[in-house]
Amino acid sequence: MTRRALVALFTLLSMSLALTAAGEARTAITGTVKSKAGLPLPGLALLEKGEIHNNVWDRGVLVDASGHFTIELAEGGQYGLHVYASGYIYSPQAVRVEAGKTLEVSVTLVPEPTRANDPVIKRAGFFPWEARQGKVTFVKLDVADPDDDLGPQVMAFNAAAGRVYAMEPPRKVRTLKANFPQGVYQLEIDTSQVPINPRDWHFVVADHQCNTTDILSFPHEPKSPRIIR
Amino acid sequence: MADDCAVTRGAGVRVALLLAAVGLPGLALAGSPDLVAEGERWWTKSPDPANPVACATCHWDPGATRGWAASFPKWKPLPPPGARVMTLFQANAEAVTRHYRLSDPRRAAATITAYLAAQGAGVPPSPGMSAGQPVFPKRLRALAASVERGRALYTRRCDACHRVGDVARTLTAYPRVVGDRVESLEEYVELHRRAPILSWNSQATADLIAYLTEELPR
Repeated sequence: MTRRALVALFTLLSMSLALTAAGEARTAITGTVKSKAGLPLPGLALLEKGEIHNNVWDRGVLVDASGHFTIELAEGGQYGLHVYASGYIYSPQAVRVEAGKTLEVSVTLVPEPTRANDPVIKRAGFFPWEARQGKVTFVKLDVADPDDDLGPQVMAFNAAAGRVYAMEPPRKVRTLKANFPQGVYQLEIDTSQVPINPRDWHFVVADHQCNTTDILSFPHEPKSPRIIR
Repeated sequence: MADDCAVTRGAGVRVALLLAAVGLPGLALAGSPDLVAEGERWWTKSPDPANPVACATCHWDPGATRGWAASFPKWKPLPPPGARVMTLFQANAEAVTRHYRLSDPRRAAATITAYLAAQGAGVPPSPGMSAGQPVFPKRLRALAASVERGRALYTRRCDACHRVGDVARTLTAYPRVVGDRVESLEEYVELHRRAPILSWNSQATADLIAYLTEELPR
């Protein structure tokens, strides 16, 4: 094969690869999170798949210190985007993402005027199930709420996997509109392939009135919430 | 709005329009300064000092809420099974019940409805859609189904006495002040001819108003 033929083949291959890449443009949500005062806010961006408030959770990401986040999606469609930052009332919004496109959103959070009504994460823990030789680990969160109107948003987020979970309440709840019980919420994680790493896990809880806890990250030691002025 | 309607077609509407036009004492139209001012107070200040989060705490940008009134009736995506098509008054009642913990949310909801309607004065009705917000086909289909249910209900229970166009034109007269009471359209429908299934907060009432909104002259 001559040198000219090789160059032509290489060019064709490159063009083909470029066309493939263009044909598979990513589907994503990217956004900025700031306070009403304009400060960038780090935190969590968690997605529900389908109609917002249906409690079918999908993917999530950490919002970085400059308030930016990007969530890559497997497909376009309707999602519920929930953004959390410690000391702020969480923001829910329904979004629609077209396949192959990136939706840009801008989220402004307002500080909690009081923390007296916020749910409280008392402690978090990771418990391998001995009977299953550690192939299953329970993630547990002890939650209280001064005004006793918890909702389904007792959230666990695994940043390494990008997975979001609504944790199981301590007893069955009739509907998502009902007040959820206080107590120990849990999640059963398959750890047969990959052991659990507590550093990857973040927790946040919001009640029916949108009162929101601080985000609890590793080492998962709850601190007294403060009011942001 | 009942089958046993005894008044002549359109008479109730004509009386309402006449009362509105002459402005009888004790009967104020939607958008009256008192009603709007009271609605603004509910909007901006929680009645519970221990829980100061008010509507305006999160919905602080008037630009973002200006199109709200025009976008109702619409599908409200509350946690199941609460999600359904609602009127603005019903949605406000749900919100103040949850956030302000009011045992009777009707006055707050009605005045907030008046306040939001005043904020959105001049915005053309666009049920199911808010300017600058995404459009969700599934929600629009739910609204279309609600309009059809409302049409059937109107035909069955109201049409014998009231021409739909006349009734639709009175939608903007609510909420209104009657004596020392604030009356929403939903409460008027509930009490009109003692229509027992049309409670102010029912899906049927939302359906009826969705149909009437569809019949508004554009």
